[in-house]
Amino acid sequence: MVTASARFLPRADLDRLFTALTADGRRVVGPTVVDGSIVHDELASFAELPKGWTAETAPGAYRLQPTGRDRLFDYNVGATSWKRFTHPSIVPLTRGRRDGNQVVVEAVEIDPPKLAFVGVRACEIAALRIQDRAMRAGPLGDADHIARGDAALVVAVECAVAASTCFCTSMGTGPEIDGGADIILSELDEGFVVRTGTDAGADVVDRLGLGPAESLQSDRAARQVGAVRAAIGDPVPAEGLATRLRAALDHPRWAEVADRCLACANCTLVCPTCFCTSVAVASDLDGVEGTTDRTWDSCFSQGFGRVAGDANFRPKVKDRYRQWLTHKFSTWWDQFGSTGCVGCGRCIAWCPVGIDVREELNAIAPIGAPSGPIPWPLSPIEGRAPAPLATVEPAAHVTATVRSVSFETVDTATLELVLDDPALLGSRPGQFVMVELPGFAIPPISISRIRPDGLNLTIRSVGPATAALVNLATGAEVSLRGPLGRGWPIEAAYGRDVVIVAGGIGLAPIRPLIDAILAERPKFGAIRLYLGARTPRDRLFVAEMNALAGRTDLEIEEIVDRAGPEWQGKVGIVTQLFDHAPWDGTRATAFMCGPERMMTATANTLEHRGVTDENCWLTLERNMACGVGTCGHCQLGPFFVCRDGPVFSLAELGSAFGLEGL
Amino acid sequence: MHDLDLAAGGSGDLAIDVAMMTRVEGEGSLRLRVRNGVVEEARLEIFEAPRYFEQLVIGRTPDEVIDIVARICGICPIAYQMTAVHAFEHGLGIEVDPQVRALRRLMYCGEWIESHALHVYLLHLPDFLGYASALELAKDHRSAVEAGLALKKAGNQLVELIGGRAIHPNDGLDIAATDWLTEFQESQVSWSHALQSRDRTGRPYLLGPSSRVILAGDQLHPLAAEALAGTGLIEEIRTNPYRSILARAIELVDATAEAIEIIDAYEPPARAATPWTPGPGSAAWATEAPRGLIFHAYELDRNGLIKSARIVPPTSQNQAGIEADLASFAPQVLDLPMDQATHRIEQLVRSYDPCISCATHFLNLSVEELS
Amino acid sequence: MTAPLPVEHGRQSPRAAAQKRPRVGVVKFASCDGCQLTLLDLEDELLAVAEKVDIVEFAEATSRRSGGPFDVLFVEGSISAPEQVDEIIKLRAVSKMLVTIGACATAGGIQAIRNWFDHEEIRHAVYADPRYVESLATSKPVADYVAVDAELRGCPISPAQLKEFLTALVTGRRPQLLDEAVCLECKRRNVVCVAVARGIPCLGPVTRTGCGAICPAYGRGCYGCFGPRESANTTSLAAWFADGRNATEVSRLFSGFTAWSEPFKKIIDANGGPPRLAAPSETPDA
Repeated sequence: MVTASARFLPRADLDRLFTALTADGRRVVGPTVVDGSIVHDELASFAELPKGWTAETAPGAYRLQPTGRDRLFDYNVGATSWKRFTHPSIVPLTRGRRDGNQVVVEAVEIDPPKLAFVGVRACEIAALRIQDRAMRAGPLGDADHIARGDAALVVAVECAVAASTCFCTSMGTGPEIDGGADIILSELDEGFVVRTGTDAGADVVDRLGLGPAESLQSDRAARQVGAVRAAIGDPVPAEGLATRLRAALDHPRWAEVADRCLACANCTLVCPTCFCTSVAVASDLDGVEGTTDRTWDSCFSQGFGRVAGDANFRPKVKDRYRQWLTHKFSTWWDQFGSTGCVGCGRCIAWCPVGIDVREELNAIAPIGAPSGPIPWPLSPIEGRAPAPLATVEPAAHVTATVRSVSFETVDTATLELVLDDPALLGSRPGQFVMVELPGFAIPPISISRIRPDGLNLTIRSVGPATAALVNLATGAEVSLRGPLGRGWPIEAAYGRDVVIVAGGIGLAPIRPLIDAILAERPKFGAIRLYLGARTPRDRLFVAEMNALAGRTDLEIEEIVDRAGPEWQGKVGIVTQLFDHAPWDGTRATAFMCGPERMMTATANTLEHRGVTDENCWLTLERNMACGVGTCGHCQLGPFFVCRDGPVFSLAELGSAFGLEGL
Repeated sequence: MHDLDLAAGGSGDLAIDVAMMTRVEGEGSLRLRVRNGVVEEARLEIFEAPRYFEQLVIGRTPDEVIDIVARICGICPIAYQMTAVHAFEHGLGIEVDPQVRALRRLMYCGEWIESHALHVYLLHLPDFLGYASALELAKDHRSAVEAGLALKKAGNQLVELIGGRAIHPNDGLDIAATDWLTEFQESQVSWSHALQSRDRTGRPYLLGPSSRVILAGDQLHPLAAEALAGTGLIEEIRTNPYRSILARAIELVDATAEAIEIIDAYEPPARAATPWTPGPGSAAWATEAPRGLIFHAYELDRNGLIKSARIVPPTSQNQAGIEADLASFAPQVLDLPMDQATHRIEQLVRSYDPCISCATHFLNLSVEELS
Repeated sequence: MTAPLPVEHGRQSPRAAAQKRPRVGVVKFASCDGCQLTLLDLEDELLAVAEKVDIVEFAEATSRRSGGPFDVLFVEGSISAPEQVDEIIKLRAVSKMLVTIGACATAGGIQAIRNWFDHEEIRHAVYADPRYVESLATSKPVADYVAVDAELRGCPISPAQLKEFLTALVTGRRPQLLDEAVCLECKRRNVVCVAVARGIPCLGPVTRTGCGAICPAYGRGCYGCFGPRESANTTSLAAWFADGRNATEVSRLFSGFTAWSEPFKKIIDANGGPPRLAAPSETPDA
């Protein structure tokens, strides 16, 4: 795509490029010196470029130095990456209003600025592409990000110098630029060798009326970038790195680096590919107007792994560092088919205590035999290979009305919602919705029944948002986004026996599965339900379950952790119901949902009973904030629980299931 | 505990105990005893816990001290910072750019506006109109309270713009000129106008707005002078402590007018910070805080660390005067019902806008003298 | 998101749902008044807040007084005098929810520096006659004496956080008070790291966010006035600082307004206490 014939832009004529870029109202963003560092900012002219400056970098240090020459791009990468413009730190998502019973939530209209990015390096082109892919890796994606990226014109500059923290050569992302940019510049003392990579870039360059570059100039440009490659060398042997790293999840070095790591998140925030965000909720004093914003977050923040009830899947810094490093260099391949690191070195320079990712990689995953078992194979799970989509849809917000609220237990209620959205009415058992009351946090809630005219949601009050939901009155409205995630693979159980295990609130996502199976009862063999609860008072859907017990075409058994004398049933843990039951697990497909500890125990018992991992399905709880795989919160090894799950087979999860701190 | 046999009501006896002064800064109580028309006791007692600032700064560097002394008072932190900054600059021979000085002065104006608006509208005004607080006052006179809040906000915004936040801002030495420039254009609003030079040292009298307006009235901004003349109450302000609210209002005009002048004359400083080397010396300075003169004196050791510190806030200097006023005013409330008498006495103390958090250790000293 | 407000889970009575105005008190102990003043500094929201809550005790703002009970009690200041211990215990007993506000109440404040010093010595140094001065040898956070339900950090607290807290209180949701490093705020605001780009020592990586990264935005290092964040790795940061600094200089960096918080105190202790003239490297001149 990049034109073979290069043109030449004399240094004195550079301003003409600025004029051409801005001719159609486009604004120019480029490097400039602010507060002792080169950052990307809007430029009023190219006079603001960092003429005569370079940046010396080292672990934990970044210092501007004068070069003594007139070059404008004699540095490598600035403090900030381009994600500041494609993936801004704060993006308004929704504006909602809750007036009495009425609820309206609307997505904020996306209006991307028309920008030209000037000075984009090879590693940064790769980063833009990698982040873009991550935001498009599903039918629903981050529409704001994509719109901003699509609206930008990329004017790249090939590196003429190498910083001590650079390792693009190892990551295969640079320093040469072969594509991915609209215009590509190579800076020489006398001016710029100009190539174009797209029609849009060619349009701009054509307006400059440039003559061809002399072949000597092109040669010098090539030699210049060649020298950069030689200077960088190959600091991180990348061959097999993804596999080596996932084989080293138990390496003692994780604890050592955690002793030095501040978990301050700087590495992730300066990283040009890190895309993780949170949803910040705000409201006015009356609780009428509510807003949500998407804000930069980081897997190094404690809150990142937190789920309802303040449990945390990644409380230790050791685990947070491992999550970051393994994601960047290993599980990114599973998710997006590429490395997540482009070798720009920002995480090294901007770490306040100088932790050098190259050093850590070489210590944790050195060349040689893998040091431990490989928890999951290095390939995208079949059927989920992330095909980049040309367009993605922002998830729609649908208003639903509460027809009834019935309390199942003291803190758990079922909301019967009426709605007419075809997508939501077509939900599959096991899918979930994001439920929004303006001003409140937006919890992911499993669908507990799919009706012709709406959905039931069974919600346990564990925080203010869920408390507000269970206390809604008849006639109140809520806003839903969904259905999200992959449901139960009911077809996988056709012709087979079915074993269903549910613990506590875990019965909620199981119930539509029961509904669906009973609707097609003849397609299945024996059906066995095993239900656990903490106490008799914590049992859900009691009347319904009692009614099921009266049927002859299925078996149902219940057990509670502890009970008073009024309880005539069994007491103990749910696995006791079937660890010696007289059925053949090899003929069964199992579905389960409950607290993770209960599911671990159940999985073990089921395996022991002969149920294979391929036939054992479960649904996971994680901190799902976006629901569409773009916020990063719910990652579990190579998976985004919201998008790839929440239903998984044990075979898919491999040893990612139950691994502490993953 | 108290002499409950004494009561107001025309007997010539009076016993007033206000266990906790309200609508003043900090924690203090009031005790007044009059027997047979003779004032036996008139005390403003301070039970605010001591914090030992003069000891806390020992061994610290001047820039640390500037941050630390701001924490003496949440209402007038700039007064403490500026006095310390000036003391050190004076003591160590540091010259800052005039534009930086102007910005600091603007920040100080902001504090004056904030502090005076707080006192005039939120703390003191309810006394004159018979409300327990400005929040209750707002139920009947919302626009008046809102006007006061708007003025107060303008003051806070000035401090925040230059210092980063409204309370305990960053050191004025470190203003980033670029930040100032970019945010500044938006902040120009059409309030009114000036503030006389506060860098001069004061004289030994009751400090604060009434004294300043009367004794240094020639230094008022013309707009403030005009406002003062317009009240026709100059003599009242001179003699009647209950009129101090007017003096504060005049100073609000004054500080606002000066702030606007500084803003209009703004030019970016050539350099945001002046390099300096720590060293030994004596550093002392006084500035006019909203409540009156504030004085700091430091001794620096050869490494430029604080060897000793003395900090004299205005309220501690006013305290004796307040108590004297209490004594001389007490006979006038003898004939009032007890609740009214108490209210009048409390109002009198409030008229000085005493800042007890600031004054803590000095007030304890004067308690001792009275005992 | 920390500090969830107490939520009544399960079915709520219609009366609870009708949301009676909560009775709110504001009290202070050893402090500068700045944090409670922050409430009065919410100029745009103050009157609206006063309609949503019933401010029954707030000596700085109203002559209306109450000894409780309080639905929510905001407590400013550290516990540093004997009678304050009794008082806070009494107040706790009449408060459904006790919220400490500011560095003094949450960490002991700057006056907690005296905890390292000889109390009698400084009493005599400051007061000519310390007989009339009742104070404890230590200035400590409120949580050392009574249970605290939520805290607003900072010296002073942030108006934005106070507003968020009050809004969450009256609308019944969880306040968004993040327990993460100041660094995230710097990066979101596009503030260049003063530590990395200019070598200025900065406590941002170990300090809780909420201030809006004011100091780095003004070109100085964070001095930790919001106190330590979760997982504050002060040991690692102090080791980094120790390159080119002696123990007193390292200690100095942590000896600020939240010095008595455990992660900071640990570093101060390991480096010979807060800076004092007695330190060998800083002997006073003759």
